[in-house]
Amino acid sequence: MKPLQEWFKNPMLAGALFLATVGVGVGVGLLLTSVATRKAESRFAYTTKADIAPDESRSEVWGKAYPLEYESWKETSDTGFRSKHGGSAFRDVLAEDPRMVVLWAGYAFSKEYNQSRGHAYAVQDVRNILRTGAPNDTDKGPQPGTCWACKSPDVPRLMAKMGDSAFYGAKWSDLGAQVVNPIGCLDCHDPKTMALRISRPALADAFMRQGKDITKATHAEMRSLVCAQCHVEYYFKGPNKHLTFPWDSGMTVDKMEAYYDSANFTDWTHALSKAPMLKAQHPDFEVFKMGIHGQRGLACADCHMPYKTEGGMKFSDHHIRSPLSNVANSCQVCHRESAEELTRNVEERQDKIQQSRIQLEDVLVRAHLEAKAAWEAGADTAAMKPILRLIRKAQWRWDFATAGNGNSFHAPLEIGRMLANGITLGQEARIKLARVLSDRGVKTEVPYPDIATKAKAHELIGLKMDKLNAEKQTFLTKVVPVWLQKAKAREDSLPK
Amino acid sequence: MGSLLSVLIPPPRWRLPVAAVLGLTAGIGGVVFYQSRAWSYLQDDPKACINCHIMIPQYSTWQHSSHGRVASCNDCHVPHTSLAAMYYFKAKDGLRHSTLFTLGMEQQVIRITEPSVAVVQQNCLRCHGNLNSEVSTSKVMGPTKSHGEGKLCWECHREVPHGRVTSLSSVPNARMQLEAPTIPDWMNIKPTDHDGVKK
Repeated sequence: MKPLQEWFKNPMLAGALFLATVGVGVGVGLLLTSVATRKAESRFAYTTKADIAPDESRSEVWGKAYPLEYESWKETSDTGFRSKHGGSAFRDVLAEDPRMVVLWAGYAFSKEYNQSRGHAYAVQDVRNILRTGAPNDTDKGPQPGTCWACKSPDVPRLMAKMGDSAFYGAKWSDLGAQVVNPIGCLDCHDPKTMALRISRPALADAFMRQGKDITKATHAEMRSLVCAQCHVEYYFKGPNKHLTFPWDSGMTVDKMEAYYDSANFTDWTHALSKAPMLKAQHPDFEVFKMGIHGQRGLACADCHMPYKTEGGMKFSDHHIRSPLSNVANSCQVCHRESAEELTRNVEERQDKIQQSRIQLEDVLVRAHLEAKAAWEAGADTAAMKPILRLIRKAQWRWDFATAGNGNSFHAPLEIGRMLANGITLGQEARIKLARVLSDRGVKTEVPYPDIATKAKAHELIGLKMDKLNAEKQTFLTKVVPVWLQKAKAREDSLPK
Repeated sequence: MGSLLSVLIPPPRWRLPVAAVLGLTAGIGGVVFYQSRAWSYLQDDPKACINCHIMIPQYSTWQHSSHGRVASCNDCHVPHTSLAAMYYFKAKDGLRHSTLFTLGMEQQVIRITEPSVAVVQQNCLRCHGNLNSEVSTSKVMGPTKSHGEGKLCWECHREVPHGRVTSLSSVPNARMQLEAPTIPDWMNIKPTDHDGVKK
């Protein structure tokens, strides 16, 4: 074979090689341009060109660009579904189970506690509930701004302006004219890209304290984390009432209790027993992670917002609700059993957990009343202190198990364990109380009170419901309309 | 070998320009490799399949389906009979995809090709073998079907896993979070002090 330079002595061949090289160069260049163009295209391909302001809290403005999601989101106002133990209908939980009035004596929850309705009612229901009181011109009411934290996309809008510390530090009533839109688009989405986004600092802070970076979360994780901004256990930290998740040493009922104990935190002192109590919020995310669906890597949205097709368009159903009202699109995506059987499976877990829960409630009602009797018989603080700790521990477990949405389905094993521990702790308290009482000469059983109705239970703990209800009515008819008027004036001044 | 080298190595006075041209080619080639995320095609991450955004409808419908937690794109769409068969099929399919995509020739409704039908059907049976060993349809393979006999799994299980409606415009708002931030600009992540005020 000739060496290479010999070939190129032929000018035709050298020219041909030059042209071929030019061809390859052009080809590679074009390919590079194509790759770059199509990569740029991908940023816009699935983004609506709608111009939504960074702090747009009115979901109807987003709805113009995302009509399918918006229309299904509006259906969260549907209150038609009642499952055996939950659903979206209005349910007066204290009337269904008046024991809770006694368990929360001395705390606002004993006044009124209802089954949560859909997201559409978040703002309305927090105004209506007796727990937020009846603020007016002279009295700003009992609650801090923190009580709005999970109710509205107006919250991130305000936090962006005020900072989260100032938001929590304000009075609830100070922000009433600002927080008017119920949980909506801005709570979970980036207005520019529509990507899922964290809007509440409390979750990001909790991640930071656990040594995790929330901005590294995957899309699959985000499909739960946007819910975990609110559907978690939390408390109001310090005099500034800073919304804080007690997750520093772990996310189980025991680890969070250890956190509260070490922070010396008490939600309130029980009106009957004087026990230093904890109130659980709704640890839905934490409990879900401990159940089989969580452990298999599912996200909240998989069952609560399953895919739906309308007019050839597939989208996540934004009618966030109990999967029991939508078994076909949620459960049956993976499970082959009939809707009736799947519902039965859920109810079986709920029924059995409820049985243990009621047992623990009876133990706790008795413990509170026996402690009250012990104080009245002249028990000394040193003898009562360990007993009150036991009552605190037992009721914390009861509340953690009870307050969540769907706990007994999400992780029945963990909830069963929690209630079993609670019953043991509660009975331990009662054994100690029996000794204290008998030492003080009380030899007969402290009778179980007549709390057959909510009214009787309220009477037992000495709540003047007529007065509270009347004040609330004045608030709703006199104060709220002014808030709404102010809010409307503000929103009317914004571009449509 | 020695004679081949002597043919390829240019004479001394040509070496500088040849080295420059080769370097330029390697550099541009490297940029193409990087920009097109070419290495991702050697792995199993389904994100590789949405390097071309036209696959986002398939990606997001899969992600929202029951298969989304247990099976990746490759589990169904490339053969698992041998490593060689796997990469041969992947390269063949991938080259066709990239050619069509580069030339802008993609269809509005992307349909599965016949060789792919055979592969997917085989993979259905690979995982679900013991579920349907008693079902006569388990003997249906791609070639059987192309002779007009039997039914493929997804002719009945039509929602699995991409749903019934497949078109480039069927999931207009599916976001893949390729570069999106997950917190807004104003949020400052900080610990709080005893009074519940951010430090």
